[in-house]
Amino acid sequence: MALTDGAILRRSLTSRMFSTVTTIATVGVAVGLMIVLLAMKDAGRKAFDRGSGTMHLLISRDASPLTAVLNGIFYANAPAAPIQWNEYQQIRAAFPWAWAIPTQQGDSYRGLPVMATSEEFFTKFQPAQDESWEFAEGEVFDEAFEIVLGAEAARMSGLRIGSVINLTHGMPRDPSAHVHEEYDYTVVGILEPTGSAHDRAVFSDLRSTWIIHAHDRRVDELGTGIGLTTVADLTDADRLITGIYGRVATRPGSDASSAIQQVFFRIRSNPTFTVASPSDQISKLFQIVGNIDRIFLAMAGVVVISSGIGIMLALYNSMEQRRRQIAVLRVLGCPRNKIFGLVLTESAILGMLGAVAGVLLAFVGGQVASAAMQARLGLVIDPGLPPLTTLNVVLGTVILASLAGVIPALKAYRTPVAENLRPLG
Amino acid sequence: MPSQMADPALSISNLRFRYAPTGDWTIDVRSLELAPAEQVLLVGRSGRGKSTLLTLLAGLREPDEGEVRVHGRNIHKLSGAARDRYRGTHIGMIFQTFNLLHGFSALENVMAALMFTGVKRKEHADRAHGALDELGIDRPNAPVDQLSIGQQQRVAVARAVVAGPTVVLADEPTASLDPEAARTSMDLIQGACSRHNAALLLVSHDPSMRSRFERWHDLADLCAQPAGTGAGGEG
Repeated sequence: MALTDGAILRRSLTSRMFSTVTTIATVGVAVGLMIVLLAMKDAGRKAFDRGSGTMHLLISRDASPLTAVLNGIFYANAPAAPIQWNEYQQIRAAFPWAWAIPTQQGDSYRGLPVMATSEEFFTKFQPAQDESWEFAEGEVFDEAFEIVLGAEAARMSGLRIGSVINLTHGMPRDPSAHVHEEYDYTVVGILEPTGSAHDRAVFSDLRSTWIIHAHDRRVDELGTGIGLTTVADLTDADRLITGIYGRVATRPGSDASSAIQQVFFRIRSNPTFTVASPSDQISKLFQIVGNIDRIFLAMAGVVVISSGIGIMLALYNSMEQRRRQIAVLRVLGCPRNKIFGLVLTESAILGMLGAVAGVLLAFVGGQVASAAMQARLGLVIDPGLPPLTTLNVVLGTVILASLAGVIPALKAYRTPVAENLRPLG
Repeated sequence: MPSQMADPALSISNLRFRYAPTGDWTIDVRSLELAPAEQVLLVGRSGRGKSTLLTLLAGLREPDEGEVRVHGRNIHKLSGAARDRYRGTHIGMIFQTFNLLHGFSALENVMAALMFTGVKRKEHADRAHGALDELGIDRPNAPVDQLSIGQQQRVAVARAVVAGPTVVLADEPTASLDPEAARTSMDLIQGACSRHNAALLLVSHDPSMRSRFERWHDLADLCAQPAGTGAGGEG
């Protein structure tokens, strides 16, 4: 088998193994970072789009529409102010809803947010387009003091069907939060993962929540020893909610956005309500975050360019050590342009190996980041690498590495032969 | 165009070279010719430009005046890659410090001399093995760094002759060897050139080499004499 260009390149790379490996690692980290940022940018947006699902509008009394979305869908905080039950009924009656589902937040279980709602939350609302709720075990609550667990909530709490728990009135870190030990809740259903923030939630029915809150009121008014509060003890003031998930009824072929806009503006005419279109708010959120994205991407770009400079320096410095080898190859008949091509190819190979290392790193990093996001936030981020983006980054890296090789290749091209054949003295 | 049969292996006429544009001529050779397969010794004191002359003959340095013909072709009239390939095909070189490709095996070093010639790729390994066998290298796949000095020189000789060159230029190949090793080395070089029908121009500072060559020249005299007469003697 003849000696080939490939063999010369392989020897050249392996003879400087430390430099080769560190250069590839530098390029790999830069490429991995770039791919992860590009992949997460789209995947993050998709993940945030989940959760609002088939809802058109979210109504609450939060300070802003974005806060309403962050609180009402992503469980960031308990909504600030309640909506009276009769207000909900008026809104429900006044507009052409397909459904308008009441929700109440503010309670928790061992740090997990509790969402009190009606059965419609599971039968009509879907957490993602064309993906309805699926139960891993059990079923939706039917009676008061029955609860359903999101998939992540079940995993984190270790609760099973039939487990009995007590909810906390108030959110974690709320100084007035206290456990309602007098009311036992029984787990009757565990949901399949949805890839949304709802996976972290504990769902109860509204009546139970009203009852435990009414109990607090009655204890304040009548003192302890009043016995358990029941539905019969509820007053209108106890029947509070914090949000409404609404979907406007539209006929096939009609302009849904126009109907949604009409409802949106009419509800907003009451300044005490905050109406949010979740998709619009998520877009706005990503416009804000997008600037940070661009900064991160720019930084990753700088790191990639730095790694290109690293390739150039590694090869340039190696040219000093390889002057004699180049001179010998020239004596043997190797043309200058061939020497130029060999160095350029070596640079491209370093870039290619770095890019491949980067893709592997991005794949592993994506899996780890995705698992961490799901565990901490309940957001399911697709860890898969977008093929086109990955291909573009790999090609870009090889081109950048080839460009980085031009200066060392020129140095090799210009290596004087006669001077480098002399005995080392 | 002279016929290929009549071409000397190497001919030099009015070759002049100097490092500084206005200094003395480092090389000023009126005429020198080597017939095919002829072996000629060029002696000269250190610093007289012997190595410079060889790089001029190999087309690795541009002369200020004159011409060098290898196998009938004025090598300095060839440009760029054509000259490189012509050198690879027609000129073999042996250096004092061998100038082997470190990190490569003996076989690869010899095959490297075939990479840039017209020899078919599938013949490279066989030819290289043949050249190494002929010179007594029994570990062709060993990295050259692991071979003894004597074996390294054999690899260098094999590399110089494997492509079947017209002329082999040897630059002080025995300068760092003891007399016994130098004798063995010269036997190898001259024997290999003879077997491959390659002319040999060997430069050395050692006058005792004269007895091994039928023709020798002192570089200093060669420069001073009118074209065609040469200087030196016949062994």
